Amino acid sequence: MYEPSPLLSFAQDKLQVLALLFMATVYALKIRWILRFPAGRDFQAPHGTERTDAARGARLSLLAIAMPWTMGSTREHPFLYAQFVIFHLGVAASIAMSFVIPYLPGLMRNTATVMALQALFLAAALVGIARLVRRLTSPYLRAFSSPDDYFSMALLIVWFFLSLLAAPNRPQNGEGPLLAYFFLTAFFLVYVPFSKISHYIYYPFARWYLGRTLGHRGVYPLARGV
Amino acid sequence: MQLERSEKAAIFLERLPQKVNRQIMLSLEACVHCGLCTDRCHYVLANPGDVTYAPAYKADRLRKLFKAHMDWTGRIAPWWVGARSVYTDAELEELKDTVFGKCTNCRRCSVNCPMGVDMATFNRMARGLLVHVGVMPEGVSHVAKDQWEIGNQMGVLNEEYLDTLTWMEEELQDEYGDPNIKIPVDKPDCDVMYTINPREVKYDPRTIAEAAAIFHFAGESWTMSSAGWDMTNFGLFNGDDELGAAVAGRVYDTLERLRAKKLVISECGHGFRSTRCEGPNWGKRQLGFPMESAIVTMTNYIQQGRIRVDKSKNTVPVTYHDSCNLARSCGIFEEPRALLKLIVSDFREMYPNRAENFCCTGGGGAMSMSEYTPRRLQSARIKAEQLKATGAKIVATSCHNCVDGLYDLIRHYKLDMEVKLLVNLVANALVPTEKIAGKAVPVPAAVEAARAPAKLLAGYKILVVDDEPDVRTYLRSIFQEQGAEVVEAPDARQAMRSLLSGKPHLMTLDLIMPHKTGDWLYWELRKDPNFADLPIVIITGYARMEAPGVDFHKFIAEKNLPPPEAFIEKPIQPEMVLDTVLKILGSRMSLQV
Repeated sequence: MYEPSPLLSFAQDKLQVLALLFMATVYALKIRWILRFPAGRDFQAPHGTERTDAARGARLSLLAIAMPWTMGSTREHPFLYAQFVIFHLGVAASIAMSFVIPYLPGLMRNTATVMALQALFLAAALVGIARLVRRLTSPYLRAFSSPDDYFSMALLIVWFFLSLLAAPNRPQNGEGPLLAYFFLTAFFLVYVPFSKISHYIYYPFARWYLGRTLGHRGVYPLARGV
Repeated sequence: MQLERSEKAAIFLERLPQKVNRQIMLSLEACVHCGLCTDRCHYVLANPGDVTYAPAYKADRLRKLFKAHMDWTGRIAPWWVGARSVYTDAELEELKDTVFGKCTNCRRCSVNCPMGVDMATFNRMARGLLVHVGVMPEGVSHVAKDQWEIGNQMGVLNEEYLDTLTWMEEELQDEYGDPNIKIPVDKPDCDVMYTINPREVKYDPRTIAEAAAIFHFAGESWTMSSAGWDMTNFGLFNGDDELGAAVAGRVYDTLERLRAKKLVISECGHGFRSTRCEGPNWGKRQLGFPMESAIVTMTNYIQQGRIRVDKSKNTVPVTYHDSCNLARSCGIFEEPRALLKLIVSDFREMYPNRAENFCCTGGGGAMSMSEYTPRRLQSARIKAEQLKATGAKIVATSCHNCVDGLYDLIRHYKLDMEVKLLVNLVANALVPTEKIAGKAVPVPAAVEAARAPAKLLAGYKILVVDDEPDVRTYLRSIFQEQGAEVVEAPDARQAMRSLLSGKPHLMTLDLIMPHKTGDWLYWELRKDPNFADLPIVIITGYARMEAPGVDFHKFIAEKNLPPPEAFIEKPIQPEMVLDTVLKILGSRMSLQV
């Protein structure tokens, strides 16, 4: 039975907990900040068919990201939408892995599972590279991209590659990949609340309010001709 | 080195936090710069390569300020997140060029943003902040001033307005040879108060006459007003909520003073949005009367048989342009299409349409900003291509701004088309009938009373349960006309309260309502011995709608409930509703006898 070094034990346990606590604290402050802004109210009477109301509008709006056919921007760019799916699955899997390796390592013993994860991380990393290239080469994206946009993408690409290397979870062959993965994950957790990566905190609020307003007015679900 | 800030920039920034509400804050924070909005904007499509038209770029002009002053990340590391403050009047002018000159607030990017960023809303807010410090296109300044001071955005004097109504009334009387056709003004206690766009007085008075003819032949009890008649609202375009509330408030106050039952808003996208949707929010007013677009009013008249139309009078191919304010901001998609199908014989859809249609390029007050006209016409190429592809000869729309925008682009791109409002097409298809026209002949009250048919529902109490105020009002009018006492409930809970306070003879029930559905109420009543025998007429539109998971027939079968006394699908045909109710009540009475 391999005994991990004190540094790796610290990196995959205490360091992660501290980073998570920090992230949770900053997120709590962010949510408090969001709620300090007064919410606009709809005084007008509802409008629209029986297919929609404020609550349905809000629900549909929240689910819009999983229904690419509902918006022209995602329907007409299926390749970009597929990239989005792979990229975010990669993020979710890597975050999950940072818990599984230290606390439920048994789940990662199956070779097929590890290979599937590695394939996902590789695909997500390649998507990340494609997205970074797109951001660097599209004059439109360049015009409104900030250093945070580039750095966040680069950070995630490196993180995906490190996730790929760490997935086999074989410290006995060298702790380097796992140490790099856990230290970068900790940095990621600390950096995220200050970067655009924290967009998922805003997503449910922004979509809920937009859907509520447009549902109340009968705009959601969006009507389009076929 | 601390840069010195101009007075205007300082006031602009001082006011910024007061105008940012939660929805706007979220829209300013949530953007991930994915760029999926880029090719949704007609400005971008018509000006390839010019990045300053990209919605995310335009949004970032304001977002930079927000981040610099209201977001901690922007305060800690402004360059890292793209935060930047504003210091000079020249920078405010640049912002003006973006928010007024490069965006029509059409909301097409908003409904296409995966994150739910509503750019149109905060672009309007940015306009309002600039207007507050006097930085705005000259035309915007003039129009807003007219609306504040004269009461309408085209500076139409009241004498001019009233003269126009008299002139149109005379025209109508000549045209139909009927001196009793009137355009009533300030008539109290009417069913409908009709409000218009001052452009109709100034440039297109024929639309007033056409609407008047439709009201007349429908036998409507209607009036216009001598004040508060302008339903347009430049507050929507210049971002001034105070102006918006004041202008909409004039209309509401006038209706309440005249004790009219319903406000009908003539065809105008931003006017409808301002009066029906935004006005109550700007003024924080809960209004006790329904408001509807003239599109709905005209459709109802035709469907109810109150006016007759002949679609063979409109044989030229027609397409329909969705006004952004009506469609993406007020959910009016199908109503104009339903009307067009009744009045034209060759309707052709344009693509994309409905929520995905492109702006006419005259929206957002663009028609009043002459300095941006070349830019507007350049970006109109997208709309011109859309129109051309339909092969139609008429583009119908339901908005006076769209009429002007489309007219300009048709001329600029030399399209073989003309623009019409729906009211023009309805009036053209109108078949004046002697029967209805004859109603206008004054009849002595005693003769009228003697002639009056028996009130078939006199003595009956009917509970109308429907969440749509227009439907309740409509059903109420059908039943009340026959002498019934009508009680309304907008949802199942209130219906239950009403039932407990007094059992009616019959109840009409909508199925899909907020909170508790009609199914729930039906179930509750059928299992309650006090109400199990209450005749219930289901009146619903779900059968013709896509409403997955809703199947009333399956519901009553599963619950082993007796069927309702009748099941009627919307749109409501008054004769059918009345016949059904009379049959049910008649059979009940005969059973009791």
